[in-house]
Amino acid sequence: MNNKSNNHTKTTTTTRINESELMHLKNNVERLVQQRASEHAIANKELAFQNEEKDKRAAELAVANKELAFQNEEKDKRAAELAVANKELAFQNEEKDKRAAELAVANRELAFQNEEKDKRAAELAVANKELAFQNEEKDKRAAELAIANKELTFQNEEKDKRAAELAAANEELVIKKEKIKEFYDQMENNIMERTAQLEYANRELEAVSYSISHDLKAPLRHITGYNSLLEKKYKNLLPEEGCQYIENISSATKNMGTLIDGLLHFSKINKIGMKKNLINMNEIVETLIWPIKDRDIKNRVEFTITSMPLAYGDLEMMKSIWSNLIENAVKFTRKKDLAKIIIGATEDKDTVTYHIKDNGAGFDMDYASKLFTMFQRLHSQGDFEGTGMGLAIVQRLIERHGGKIWAEGKAGEGASFYFSLQRKKGA
Amino acid sequence: MKINTILYVEDNPLDVELTMEAFKEKKVANKVVVANDGVEALEYLRLEGRFKDRKPGNPGFILLDLKMPRMDGLEFLAIIKKEAEFKRIPVIMLTSSREEKDLIRGYDLGVNAYVVKPVDFLALTEVVKQIEAFWAITNEVPWE
Repeated sequence: MNNKSNNHTKTTTTTRINESELMHLKNNVERLVQQRASEHAIANKELAFQNEEKDKRAAELAVANKELAFQNEEKDKRAAELAVANKELAFQNEEKDKRAAELAVANRELAFQNEEKDKRAAELAVANKELAFQNEEKDKRAAELAIANKELTFQNEEKDKRAAELAAANEELVIKKEKIKEFYDQMENNIMERTAQLEYANRELEAVSYSISHDLKAPLRHITGYNSLLEKKYKNLLPEEGCQYIENISSATKNMGTLIDGLLHFSKINKIGMKKNLINMNEIVETLIWPIKDRDIKNRVEFTITSMPLAYGDLEMMKSIWSNLIENAVKFTRKKDLAKIIIGATEDKDTVTYHIKDNGAGFDMDYASKLFTMFQRLHSQGDFEGTGMGLAIVQRLIERHGGKIWAEGKAGEGASFYFSLQRKKGA
Repeated sequence: MKINTILYVEDNPLDVELTMEAFKEKKVANKVVVANDGVEALEYLRLEGRFKDRKPGNPGFILLDLKMPRMDGLEFLAIIKKEAEFKRIPVIMLTSSREEKDLIRGYDLGVNAYVVKPVDFLALTEVVKQIEAFWAITNEVPWE
């Protein structure tokens, strides 16, 4: 706007300019028109060149377009091909995934198998070592066997020699064996014969003891019977000496009766069955001495009894053993003002030894072996009455228990009796 | 009081005499008949032989020795225990010892009691007294 207003102002001013100036202006305009015309010509030429260039470019573009169209077609073809290829690829991917999953499973299986294989391999390694060791051992043995074989061969040879020798010896032996068998049979016959004889002798012995108890008792009964009748009916007709005879007969027959009973008892000891139990020896002893103490009003007999281990045996037999031993001790201390009787026991691993000691008449050790013999007496009937059977019976009873009895003593100073019994196994 | 006859079966005359003395000593009132063995004892029971004229009737009891000739005590016992007429008569066995095997056989055959013959005469009189007290007076054989 400002430019336009300036131009207006100029025009108004030009109108007042002179002719010279006009002539100059006119030359200027002509020069400007000429300049403009040359410039146009140049511009035209330029434009024509540019048109040519533009055509060239258009032609080139047309070619390029054709080229592009062709390329587009090609591109579409390629796209279609690619779609097909993509589908194929997708399918292949699925297959690949399946295969991958299968492979994963297969891999795991393989891994497991590998582990197993490793284990087996480890085991095999161990087994191999073992085998190697065994092989070594085998080789050693083989070497040893080779040596042994040689030895054996040698021994075989020797054996053959010996076999020949033995065969000869065998013949000899067969003959000897026959002789031995003959001898053995003879021995067996002898033993059977002896056994039969012994059994017969035993039966005889039983018959004898039976006969003693019965057949001897009858006449004894008659002697005592008639002796009593004699005394009762005719004592007043006899002188004093005759009456004394009657008394002597009476005491003799009484003694004989005791002997017969004792003998019968003794002969039966081997036949009586034993009932073995654990037995309280103190109880038996206390029961036996009680009546003795009861009768001993003056307290002449002093018993010292210590605690004794249990015995394993037959109760009745044990009672009989103690009864005999205690009666003996009391009997042989009868002449003492103070009789001392000590009862007790000592024990070791297998046996218990019971003892009864007194300060009575005692005995001479020279005759100790006769103490336990039937009817053997070491004191006169006048000093101490008795049948001489008590200790023989005691010995038999103790022997039946597998025990032993022995005695120590000194004449006038007392006697000690010991008997040992086996402990019950496990008791 | 009914006083029974005692049948005493014993072969030994000395035993018989001593026992009879014992009966006399203890004033036993029963009549005692002596048979010398089993055969005679059977004859007495059956009223045969020397007993064929005796007054009929069974004895109150029988005192029976075991060892006797011809027929011993156990044989006699076996026979009378089979005869209805005699099987209820009480029998007392006389033995020499308490441990005789005959004793058991006697009981098996039905003996009522046994007495061990005492060696001592005084003891014999006591036994006789006891026998009399129990068997001759107290004991009554059941009637049919």
